[in-house]
Amino acid sequence: MNPEQDGPASLLDAVRLNDPVAPVVIVGCGRLGAMLASRLSRGERRVVVVDRNQAAFAQLDADFSGFRVTGDATELEVLREAGLEQAAYLLVTTEKDTLNLMVAQVGRTVFSVPQVMARVYDPQRESLYRAFDIETISPTSLTALAFLQRTPAPGGY
Amino acid sequence: MSDDRYREHLRRRYRVIGRALGFLFLLNALLMLLPLILLIWTPQEWWLAPAFVLAAGILALAGWLLRRTEREQERLPLSLAEGSVVVVLAWLSAISVGALPFCWAGLSVSQAFFETTSGWTTTGLSVVDVTSCPALLLFYRSLLQLAGGAGLAILLVSLLAIRGSAGLNAAEGHNEQLVPQVRHSARLVIRLYGGYVVVGLLGLKLAGMSWFDAVNHAFCALSTGGFSTHAAPLAQWASPAAQTILILLMLLGMTNFLTAYTLLCGRWHAVWRNGELRLAVVLLGMALFALCWHEMPRWQINDSLEQFRISLFQIVSALSTTGFVITDIEAGDNFCWLLLILLMLVGGGNGSTAGGIKQQRLLVLLKSVKQLLWQFSHPPHEVHEEILWTGDQKRPLTLVEVSRAGSYVLLYLATWLAGSLVLTAYGHDMARSLFEFASTLGTVGLSLGLTNPDVPPGQLWLQSAGMLLGRLEFLVLFWGLTRLAKEILPLLTPRNNRPRP
Repeated sequence: MNPEQDGPASLLDAVRLNDPVAPVVIVGCGRLGAMLASRLSRGERRVVVVDRNQAAFAQLDADFSGFRVTGDATELEVLREAGLEQAAYLLVTTEKDTLNLMVAQVGRTVFSVPQVMARVYDPQRESLYRAFDIETISPTSLTALAFLQRTPAPGGY
Repeated sequence: MSDDRYREHLRRRYRVIGRALGFLFLLNALLMLLPLILLIWTPQEWWLAPAFVLAAGILALAGWLLRRTEREQERLPLSLAEGSVVVVLAWLSAISVGALPFCWAGLSVSQAFFETTSGWTTTGLSVVDVTSCPALLLFYRSLLQLAGGAGLAILLVSLLAIRGSAGLNAAEGHNEQLVPQVRHSARLVIRLYGGYVVVGLLGLKLAGMSWFDAVNHAFCALSTGGFSTHAAPLAQWASPAAQTILILLMLLGMTNFLTAYTLLCGRWHAVWRNGELRLAVVLLGMALFALCWHEMPRWQINDSLEQFRISLFQIVSALSTTGFVITDIEAGDNFCWLLLILLMLVGGGNGSTAGGIKQQRLLVLLKSVKQLLWQFSHPPHEVHEEILWTGDQKRPLTLVEVSRAGSYVLLYLATWLAGSLVLTAYGHDMARSLFEFASTLGTVGLSLGLTNPDVPPGQLWLQSAGMLLGRLEFLVLFWGLTRLAKEILPLLTPRNNRPRP
């Protein structure tokens, strides 16, 4: 990103991030997505969950009060329907790393969502994501870290 | 052992229910004190004040006790079924306690209960003699309609952050949200509603009503309630401008809040796509055309504009389930009555303050008919999907939705006919009975004279039940009551009633 664009873009980002009514869009309503959606909704955030499979929404809490959008997140129309144009946060939590990358990238570049986070299983792909200005959370790295903290090695890791 | 565990589970669940119910009681207690503000202008009616204070006291005490039952720190959510229990209990107690001021003023218990039910359910049928009724009570019933139009649960949800808001809100019939967060959505609805009221009462005041009339009529038009402060029909005392404003307010009241919100946000294309709104326009247009066509021969040249306005007012009043009376309907003929019955059965928009079958369900069934016709003229394997738009969200028409709407319509019509049957057993003629019970069940309030201060208590209780069924949309009432009936016994049996081996 070049510096001329960086200034105003980040100001707009800040406005959107600090807007308490800007929705959080969660793509993928699996175990993780459903948990995130339920917790955020309980915390009085506006939440929209997107999943291809309508049955997936059964995993949401009883008091989840956000919107459920059924559709393929690789389609722009579905993302637009989910309100990505106004969203402050986009959390991509499907099972597929490549799909996550694509949706996250679309969210960042097409809809300029200020904060995009994606789950990525393969730690080797994390650097690729970072190049696209997408924050990553890797269950593999996190689990490894948790294991390693409990297993000291004299020479360091 | 498993019995004990089940009871322990029930106790925990009912503590959650009790907590929510306690909040609702406290809110209701506040509401009972509100009418006393009017005493500033009518101090001679102070003798009614103890009734309001007593009612508020009972509710506050009950609410405080219920809130104390909560022991654990963990906040559990309410499911839709538990939300129904809360909503049903809250409504029944609101009506029972709310009847107190009417009893105090000298109405019998069944009459007081009827009047309060008519208020809370935004019906507008009345057994009170408006000409001799104290102004405080008139204001109180209008306030009941204003609160009943929005609903107790939505008020609570918008005020307090409690777990289970979604279940509570959905149980009261607000199944569509404006924004993806129930509390924000509830606040927006209340704000819209409040905005309507303020604009409405200023408009009515400017159109020549007194402040008292303007406030009462604005409250009752927006909540599609229909209590009036005058015994005479509106055409005899309200100015044409006031009548026009009332028409607009009733139309606003029967419009889905979500549609109104999209309209206010300026998303015109979303409004145009909305099938419910288009259906309402078509229904209003057809009914207006039919009524005018029928009445036209009797119009004079110089009052045709007034006659047209009266026809429009009547149609809007019936379809929006408000029930304001602009002219003596008893003078009308069978055609006019049947037309009004049909409109009253259809009712207003989904997620509005109106009652009836609701336009959304009719739309679903019409789309299903359209699909059947389409299948007939196309190859069997060609797929065709009907789309339903609500706000900016679209969803395909599913069989589940069609069957739900169909079952509801069947239940509604069956109850309507059964209720009318009972009314004929009281000695009323068929047309009037059908009209009166359509008006009762749809929470409309138009009357052909079957509801008056002299009716027997049995009929009053029947109609009270009809109004409550119509307002709480049957299922919530059934769910709530069956759930209570099933669980009340194990809940109340003491913990160790059985010796352990």
